[in-house]
Amino acid sequence: MRTALILLTTAFGYVGVENLIFNAGWYAKIVNPDSSTGQVNEFLYNEHHRLKIGGKQVLAIGDSRMGFFPRFVNAHPGIDYTFGTIAVPGSTPRDWYYMFRDIDPTRTQYTAVLIPVENYDDVEGWEINADRETDLHYVIAQLRWSDIPEFAGSYVSPSLKAKAALGILLKGSVYRADFQDFLADRKKRLDYVHQVQRDSFGWVYDYEGPSYNVSGDEIDWKAHTILVPPDHRPDEAKLFTDRLFPPPAPATGRRTAYLSYWFNRIYDLYRGTRTRIIIFRLPRGPYPPPDAPPRNEHSSVRELARKPGVILDDEHYFDSLERPELFQDPMHLNGAGEAEFSKMLGKHVQELLSK
Amino acid sequence: MLFSTIPFFEFLAVVLALYYAAPRVARRPILLAASYFFYMSWNAKFIVLLLTLTAIDYTAALWIARSEGHRRKLFLIVGLSGNLSFLGFFKYYNFLADNIALLLQRPPHSFALAIILPLGISFHTFQSMSYIIDVYRGQQKPIRNPLDYALFIAFFPQLVAGPIVRAREFFGDLYNWKRPVGEEVLRGVMLIGVGLAKKLAFADQFALVADSYFSNPAAHAGALAAWKGVGAFSLQIFFDFSGYSDMAIGMALLLGFHFPQNFARPYLAFSITDFWHRWHMTLSRWLRDYLYIPLGGNRHGTLNTYRNLMLTMLLGGLWHGASWNFVAWGGYHGALLAIERMLGRKMFEDKPPMWLYPFRAALTTVLVTIGWVFFRASDFTHSRYIISQMFSFAHHMPNLAVPVWLIWLAVFSVMVAIVEERWDFFNRLARGPAIAFIAVMIATMLMVELFGVIDKQIPFVYFQF
Repeated sequence: MRTALILLTTAFGYVGVENLIFNAGWYAKIVNPDSSTGQVNEFLYNEHHRLKIGGKQVLAIGDSRMGFFPRFVNAHPGIDYTFGTIAVPGSTPRDWYYMFRDIDPTRTQYTAVLIPVENYDDVEGWEINADRETDLHYVIAQLRWSDIPEFAGSYVSPSLKAKAALGILLKGSVYRADFQDFLADRKKRLDYVHQVQRDSFGWVYDYEGPSYNVSGDEIDWKAHTILVPPDHRPDEAKLFTDRLFPPPAPATGRRTAYLSYWFNRIYDLYRGTRTRIIIFRLPRGPYPPPDAPPRNEHSSVRELARKPGVILDDEHYFDSLERPELFQDPMHLNGAGEAEFSKMLGKHVQELLSK
Repeated sequence: MLFSTIPFFEFLAVVLALYYAAPRVARRPILLAASYFFYMSWNAKFIVLLLTLTAIDYTAALWIARSEGHRRKLFLIVGLSGNLSFLGFFKYYNFLADNIALLLQRPPHSFALAIILPLGISFHTFQSMSYIIDVYRGQQKPIRNPLDYALFIAFFPQLVAGPIVRAREFFGDLYNWKRPVGEEVLRGVMLIGVGLAKKLAFADQFALVADSYFSNPAAHAGALAAWKGVGAFSLQIFFDFSGYSDMAIGMALLLGFHFPQNFARPYLAFSITDFWHRWHMTLSRWLRDYLYIPLGGNRHGTLNTYRNLMLTMLLGGLWHGASWNFVAWGGYHGALLAIERMLGRKMFEDKPPMWLYPFRAALTTVLVTIGWVFFRASDFTHSRYIISQMFSFAHHMPNLAVPVWLIWLAVFSVMVAIVEERWDFFNRLARGPAIAFIAVMIATMLMVELFGVIDKQIPFVYFQF
């Protein structure tokens, strides 16, 4: 009996001490700001500390393709809303749910939230979105023990389910590499964390994208070839080939299931509140393909749009931005593109919310 | 199934649950089945080899016990030959074939065969040999129940890399089995935890540095990098093997078996003689009892003693692996032992005064570390190059990167070893205050979690032997 008691106390003691170190919040504050966890923390920290004057707040989310910068529209004479952004490169809809939950716990802060998508048809890719292991690293600081069934359960692979569950239970196992890096030079880390906390709002909100553009590339849609001018980046042709001509992925319905689940979870957060969910399609790229994917009437976003409080924007609203001079690569807008896109989106949100 | 992986712990949990839930009569068959399952999870086909060796030794021992005079010796020779021929073929055939090819000036590997080294063959062969020798000497009664004998050979905690257990130790526990209680359970759990931390948090971390050095020593020229790389391997092999041994002893304890200690803080040894009393103790014991003493030990004059020491260490080296590097490693240690004996036995067997101890321990560790070059380098040419770098007294760039916290980990481990040496801390932990046990175990688990190399599976060094 004594032995069992000692072993049980050891097990609980370990989980307790571990959680005291890694789940009480202080370690998340000193995570490397350049890591995926650090970036999410940094964006959420900035949004928590952003001065929100007036009730008309709009929050944008997304990944690196979301080239929206609030400075182009905030305090603009024709726009009544104030915009913020928590669009973190590499983040996914699963992460977005936990980020929204963290940033708006009372669901009262925003008039609208902006969610970008690549297309309205849930076009399948080769990646199994539900099994994206790095999602755990992005939102580890936001996850709680009570999230274990849902977050870990949302993975398909049993080993990833187990890894996610263990990761939430013992966050040190997720922070391991970061912790070792922290020990390598503690002062340097702490100084950098303080610098990021002090300055990163400006880095994000005043960021000016690159001026490089992909004008001059020639795409042969039939032969699946790309001709890149000699003064362009050496890897540009490969980037375009990978992006525009991937081997066709089988239609499994996995992507629709994944997106439906997490968009609905975001919807659940704001169900019955004043916050509207605005979904729009990002400019697809500098050279949009001539053939559109088959229309999916029951795609995640089209189904979601049938619910009250959800606005599904005109699919082609940003088509005018799909020009090579506004892109730095096959997916990302350049500085000029980001400026145009931000202005267009800001004005358009004003229109949509005024209806 | 590596000891340090989740599938192994799942396996262990199932075995423990079945073992203690089953009626007493079913426990040995359960352990034997689990051991065979464990062995077959590596390569199912080789179970035939294990069964054959088991059958040979089981039968040989019975025949030895029944016979007298020359027939008794004949059966001993038959038994030993059986073991050695399997070991010789699987472990040494290609070594021999390559050397013959070299002598005949034929291309390398002309006579080589694609042979897979069966898991743990060096260990279970030595264990079998000690059993039939003990029966021959009348120190051990032959085991009548073939399943009991099969379990002695295949018992999964020590099948792969020891400790090399004597028959009387194993069967003493098997036939007088008592359910482990209280202190033993805590000690078993502690040994598994500490062993896991030694392997994942220490050995595997040092392995990353050692591997990056030994994979291409020329890329890290200079004395500093050489000492870092070799020093990292020195720590890796200790933590790896002693971690494995701790886990094996801990698991055995949870199953009601008491295995002998295999390591006793070898890097605190004050001489090479002392080192071999602390390093891989069950192998040292085996070599002493079944090789050194039968060769004559120190009973037939100084020269014969040196010869016996040298032969024992050379064969001990060769036991580790079939290459001239291992022979050189054994020879190096044999020579050091002979030198110590030459300089005065008392001086190297008796503990030096306190003020001298740190210097002697440091010198011993340096000498042992130099020896590890032969153990780890891919061939003789690399060994020579690395040793020449260690004493080049030149510092060249690029250097070998070692994280600062890894150096602290090494310092921490030395401090723990000193505390353990002075106060026998870990041995007393299980019977000490519960709070101390709990605190140490929590710290151990945190070490595994935060410093463990989890994403890469680095096999135990001694699994290759």
